[in-house]
Amino acid sequence: MNNNDTTGMSEIVKGITKIVFPFIMIFGISIVLYGHLTPGGGFAGGVVLTGGFVLLLLAFGKEYTFRILPRKIAKSLDSIGALGFLCIALLGLTGGTFFYNFVPKGRLFHLWSGGTLILSNIMIGIKVGSALFLAIITLSMARLVHIKKGLLYRQSEENK
Amino acid sequence: MNHSIIFPVVIYLGGAFLLPLLYAKNDLLAGIVTSALTFLSFLVSVLLGLTVFTTGERILYFAGGWQKPLGIALMVDPLSCLFLIITNFIAFLIAVYSITYTKKHSRAAYFYVLFMLILAGMNGILISMDLFNIFVFFEIASIASFVLVAFGLRAEELEASLKYTVISFIASTMILLGLAVVYGFTGTLNITAFMRIAAGLPQTHLWFILGLFLAGFAIKAALVPFHAWLPDAHSMAPAPVSALLSGLFIKVVGFYGIIRLATNIFGSIPQIRVVLLLFGILSMVLGGLMAYGQKNIKRLLAYSTISQIGYCAIGLGIGGYLGYLGVLLHIISHAFSKSLLFLNIGAVEYMTGTTDSDKLKGLYDRMPYTTALASTGMFGIAGIPPMGNFWSKLIIIFSAVQAGYPGIAALCVLVAVITLGYFLKLQRTVYYNKASDTAKMLEAPSGMLAPMTVLAFAAVFAGILLIPGIRSCCLDKAVGVMENFSYINVDIGD
Amino acid sequence: MIIYLLVALMVFIGLYGIIAKKNIIKIIVGMNILGYATNLLFIVLGYKWNGIAPIIPQNITVERFVQTAVDPLPQALVLTAIVIDLGFSAFLAALAIRMYAKYGTFDTDKIRRLKG
Repeated sequence: MNNNDTTGMSEIVKGITKIVFPFIMIFGISIVLYGHLTPGGGFAGGVVLTGGFVLLLLAFGKEYTFRILPRKIAKSLDSIGALGFLCIALLGLTGGTFFYNFVPKGRLFHLWSGGTLILSNIMIGIKVGSALFLAIITLSMARLVHIKKGLLYRQSEENK
Repeated sequence: MNHSIIFPVVIYLGGAFLLPLLYAKNDLLAGIVTSALTFLSFLVSVLLGLTVFTTGERILYFAGGWQKPLGIALMVDPLSCLFLIITNFIAFLIAVYSITYTKKHSRAAYFYVLFMLILAGMNGILISMDLFNIFVFFEIASIASFVLVAFGLRAEELEASLKYTVISFIASTMILLGLAVVYGFTGTLNITAFMRIAAGLPQTHLWFILGLFLAGFAIKAALVPFHAWLPDAHSMAPAPVSALLSGLFIKVVGFYGIIRLATNIFGSIPQIRVVLLLFGILSMVLGGLMAYGQKNIKRLLAYSTISQIGYCAIGLGIGGYLGYLGVLLHIISHAFSKSLLFLNIGAVEYMTGTTDSDKLKGLYDRMPYTTALASTGMFGIAGIPPMGNFWSKLIIIFSAVQAGYPGIAALCVLVAVITLGYFLKLQRTVYYNKASDTAKMLEAPSGMLAPMTVLAFAAVFAGILLIPGIRSCCLDKAVGVMENFSYINVDIGD
Repeated sequence: MIIYLLVALMVFIGLYGIIAKKNIIKIIVGMNILGYATNLLFIVLGYKWNGIAPIIPQNITVERFVQTAVDPLPQALVLTAIVIDLGFSAFLAALAIRMYAKYGTFDTDKIRRLKG
């Protein structure tokens, strides 16, 4: 980071974000992975992951955030998450019916114990995280067009 | 276990999420893939139809492989199979039409994504037997339709979509509150288990549940006190979206729910017939009268839709074999004719840029083929023999007289004359007039004319479903489901 | 009994927000409150006095757990309903931004180009 960088917030906020961001990501991933044993699961973990990226967006500005998670990759992750969930459901057909739990179930109360539950949670976590991130980017990058005395002024209000 | 029951929904969901990954930049290829997937889904539903209509039995499927009373139940019986075939067939034709129509829109690949999501929702409602499953697919179809109505991003489309969204949110809340009350009284959400426990509840509890569900579905089906969103949404949406909404969405998402409520689930409550008759009469008369003063042609067609759904509500309220037969045939013929008319006015808008009946004059000179198809559609809805709509209106009028309501029968005939009146006025002023400004009127491209021709043939020949040999194999079985079937008899194994 | 009356009050506040307010943002907030009230009704229906959360800890028998746990089925339904309401709110927020660009105002009295 060079010293004349005026986007984002002050140096204190940037410093703290650099420390806190990995912990937020780990917290979100742990909510997703332990969804079959503790409260949470795919959707709640995905929202926490999005919160981490929004923190980056607010503290550093959109250029830096798009270097970490470009929009094209977010769009692809969105579709891959949904298609992965559909594939897990269709693969259940090999075990008998649609959505059947065809993976060997491990021991009770351990991480690998729900069968397809953990795989579905991961897919939904990926999808919700990237989809909400794209939605927040779209909503906050709006450019306002003012209609003032018959002339149209274009004023861009991007996240600085 | 017939596994092909899940395939319509799986094909549409898979396609909707595959398109942004692979074909986001190439609009033509996205359109071709969408048409191929809708045709594949149509073939699967015809396959299901062959099994269901030849044996006359239901196909029951429990997802997840759980034992009988647990697990999400899916069911296809002759009534839902009829709706499945019609939905996928018309959706295929609309997908082929929109390959040409969306050339004027930017980002057309996302149009196809939303199109497949709305079809996934509609097919999902038709195959579910669990109340919450129906609610989730209802929401998928609704949210996709809000975005599709606002797709062109003109100012009027955004305003129409806002009105539609807020009113439809109240419909969703009514259905969710109905689900909460069902869960509070009976403790289960499977329709069969609910009906077995509900046999012991007092009548007022059942009226409350029925009232909440009926309000929710009637808002979607645009019966008269709840019709405020329809003229704006259907007139301002892009043309293939209007055809999809007016021809299929109102019937599958709104009216199919009312059919199931009135005949299979709450069939033992006689007051629902009075309510449906009242809504039907109001819709018929109000839709017919309001359509006279409209300058925008699409708004006139939207009010005509309200009027025709009123006919269906009257048929459902009267009941009996003739009433139900009229309702089903009217739904099928109106789906074909109204989709044809909306696609037609979309072709006119694509070539000339306006749908105002003051500015369009004398389309017959330069666009003869489009005018012939429009006349076919308009005569279809007005009810001229030998179209399918004529037979269905005749059957509904006969059933009204037979059940002892001669006043309603006379009103139906009067509104049929009014319908013919405004369509003749429209044809005289817009189509068969002296051409005023022929500069921009060229014939519509053949990519639009081909699906419209197929729809016109289907609308003309929909009456062959009444020939006794064909009728006994498909329509009779569907009417039999409406008359005799009750969800309480389904075997869920406890 | 009183909890159901309070949920009904919340439904009426949400409905008042949708019907009587003119600003689009206030209508969106009203819709959110109505959504919260419906979800709350679902959760309250599944409650048991002095119950535990429906997650099996390691040191309890299955019969005792079934007797004391609150009902987990409404909680699964409410998760889905929350996601659906999120979709509504996100779409309406984007719609409000686009409408401000076209009409110049958030006031629904002035957004009346469609008549008849």
